[in-house]
Amino acid sequence: MNDNDLKLMEGLRSLAADGPREAPVWIEERLVGELRRQSRVRRRNRWLGAGAAAVAACLGIVLWIRTVPGVPAPPMAGVVGPAAPAPKAGGLPPAYAPGAEVAMNEAAINFYPLPDADDLPPIESATIVRVQLPLSSLRLMGLQVSDDRAAESIQADMLLGQDGLARGVRFVE
Amino acid sequence: MSNSLTEGDGELLRLISRGDETAFLAFYRRYQGPVYRFALQMSGQPEIAEEVTQDVFMLVMGSAKKYDPKRGSIAAYLYGVARNFVLRRLQQERPYLTALDDPESEYADVAAGGPDALADLTRNERVESLRKAVLALPPAYREVVVLCDLHELDYAEVAAALDCAIGTIRSRLHRARALLAEKMRAEERCAV
Repeated sequence: MNDNDLKLMEGLRSLAADGPREAPVWIEERLVGELRRQSRVRRRNRWLGAGAAAVAACLGIVLWIRTVPGVPAPPMAGVVGPAAPAPKAGGLPPAYAPGAEVAMNEAAINFYPLPDADDLPPIESATIVRVQLPLSSLRLMGLQVSDDRAAESIQADMLLGQDGLARGVRFVE
Repeated sequence: MSNSLTEGDGELLRLISRGDETAFLAFYRRYQGPVYRFALQMSGQPEIAEEVTQDVFMLVMGSAKKYDPKRGSIAAYLYGVARNFVLRRLQQERPYLTALDDPESEYADVAAGGPDALADLTRNERVESLRKAVLALPPAYREVVVLCDLHELDYAEVAAALDCAIGTIRSRLHRARALLAEKMRAEERCAV
């Protein structure tokens, strides 16, 4: 390194040490203001998003699920499929046992017992919920469904007990 | 500025991405000085340096999560971002840039220290003339001088910041120093 190079390096060191070391304070203030503004926007968007999701969920529930309050639990009867197990009267209150007198149209109240529903407590009050079921789910109930129709859906009413657990199903379509 | 990811930077960036003001302030106070000085030394204009400093930390504020430590230190990342903003601003100010980037131009001669202006060099004048000489370098040379000589980053760090090979940094720095030395010699001849 010759004399000129040494002078240059010395000059560059002086230059590095020269001049302002910090940005003006107003930049920090402006940035903090912007950060706060962004935080407010983010919080507002989060609340808006949560609110919109809640509204959508409520609407979905209202439109999709139709409850029938006060409807007494109908009897489980009408085994449709050949492999379906027969409903047991033990899981139902006497008033709704097969053969009991009911006011409703039989076609409307024929519920098919779900597997394992017999192990649940007897029904004291019931709720009917209308849902769309895949046809393939009928296989779980012992019904035969061809493979080419398994992906299709069917509208059905689910019979829920006082504990919210499904006891039976009937097919609307 | 630290040449590696300082302990706590990762955590600060994580908190900043959640909008944590305290974390942002800690991060800003740690790095604003080098970013501002770099922008000032690259542009020679406080207005540009201020604007670039704001832009760099606005970007950090909005995309702190996107920083990948595997691609370089936080210092290199910030210098790289600042450099891009400075070059963009200088391109917008084309007349100024053209004058300073052309070593043969009349303005560049004055900026580098014309014969009349540099007749009696005090130390401050010498520093000032060197500052102008650095500003008169083409951007590709200027940025390596600023980062290597004024900010004392190593070649690897500068290569990461400028996204080019270490060999390129070395050769550009060599060429830039030669240009500066030439200007210094010319000044001395004029002073005599």
